[in-house]
Amino acid sequence: MKVTVNTEMCEGHGKCEQSAPEVFKLGDDDISHVLIDDVGEELRPKVDRAIRLCPRQAISWVAE
Amino acid sequence: MTTQEAIEPDEINLGDDSLFERYEQHGAFETLRRRPGLHWNDGNESVKGWWNITRYDDVLYVSRHPEVFSSEGGITQFEPVDPNEQVAAAAGNGKMLITMDPPRHVKLRRLVNKGFTPRAVSAMEAEIRQITNQLLDGVAKEGRCDFVLDVSAQLPLAVICGMMGLERKDWDLMFQLTNKVLGQGDPEYQTDVPENQRGTIEAARITGNMGTMQMFGFFAQLLQQRQANKGHDLVSILVDSEVEGEKLTEEDILWFCFLLILAGNETTRNAISGGLVALCEHPEQRARLQADMSLLPQAVEEILRWVSPVTHMSRVALQDTEINGFPIKKGERVTMWYPSVNRDASVFREPDRFDITRTPNEHLAFGIGEHFCLGAGFARLELKVIFEELFRRFPDIQIDGPVERLRSTFIGGIKHLPVKFTPER
Repeated sequence: MKVTVNTEMCEGHGKCEQSAPEVFKLGDDDISHVLIDDVGEELRPKVDRAIRLCPRQAISWVAE
Repeated sequence: MTTQEAIEPDEINLGDDSLFERYEQHGAFETLRRRPGLHWNDGNESVKGWWNITRYDDVLYVSRHPEVFSSEGGITQFEPVDPNEQVAAAAGNGKMLITMDPPRHVKLRRLVNKGFTPRAVSAMEAEIRQITNQLLDGVAKEGRCDFVLDVSAQLPLAVICGMMGLERKDWDLMFQLTNKVLGQGDPEYQTDVPENQRGTIEAARITGNMGTMQMFGFFAQLLQQRQANKGHDLVSILVDSEVEGEKLTEEDILWFCFLLILAGNETTRNAISGGLVALCEHPEQRARLQADMSLLPQAVEEILRWVSPVTHMSRVALQDTEINGFPIKKGERVTMWYPSVNRDASVFREPDRFDITRTPNEHLAFGIGEHFCLGAGFARLELKVIFEELFRRFPDIQIDGPVERLRSTFIGGIKHLPVKFTPER
């Protein structure tokens, strides 16, 4: 599964990095970057949590 | 008070600002959360009715769908039956970030949001601590003060005024005008109205309009100065800004300033005051915190949940839709009540317990999604710094008189909070 961050919306709160550090990293530009193309099954709950907690609701799964 | 008496649904009117002044709103919220469906709140001869949204999941849903639930019809629950009766601030509908829908909202927000990122906020910590200590210096020898007027209102006011480049001499005016605009329904701020006519709907309208017009007059002058002489402040940034290749109009900039000053000083003021009240009313929690100040970041989140200083935001449905299966018609207004969702037992265990170590604590005091509070980082930092310095210098601070609350359905405000503490030598 692929996950994406809407960079127009992201304001660098970093909740995603706290929830799933394997998947998200806050850059020097204060925007969250997705580190891996294909999120494995084992990381999905963490990414779901990141999606839920994002203050700006800027993260979403990409439909296959 | 932690648990309040339930109120029968038929008797509930969340448009009654005296309910909040008496701090009896939680009983009403509790009743509405338990009741299936949504609660229709009747309006009156001058204001249209609205749906009350009191459950966590429903507020999440509305917040996540700004394309259906619009902010451009105004964000308080008051929508005049007669459009000619509009208050001045309502003329800003669609013109401020807070009353603007996507896609323009995010474009305008991006003009300034780099000044509010966690990184930008952290860079201000030393300055915020210095301002805080100056404020505490001012009351230290007396051993008593009105905590709102002398401390909690002054810190956020100084921070936002500093960011906007306002001179020190103008800060008090900003405080007074903010009170007129956001506290327009409270007789204490209705100073433009003869004393025997205060406390009426008309007095509120006049007060809000006067505050708004005076604010615009002030910022129109400031804008002229900035156009001639730019600095690095937020107003100067706006003067040069473009959205989709078009410069902001003067009107756009004035509404932007209006929003920044209001949102920047009224909300955090009440989180700080409400936080101190909560800590004083829960001495065992307070003792725990003072024994281990590393608990403060968690305590700040619990204060935000407990106080929920912005009481509501309302939206207007742009189409026929549903909230959790409940039909909402196009054009109807829905009002989201944050103090209610932050005590929703389906999300928070023992929601009426003030617990500074509550984990998780996914409160919605700042909203969520498109309109998530731009200044949340500053609010959190100001709360952290002020309680660190306050308990370091005045560890025995106590409430020393009646807590006077604001008569408002929109802002969970505290106007006066007398406190005493051992004076510094």
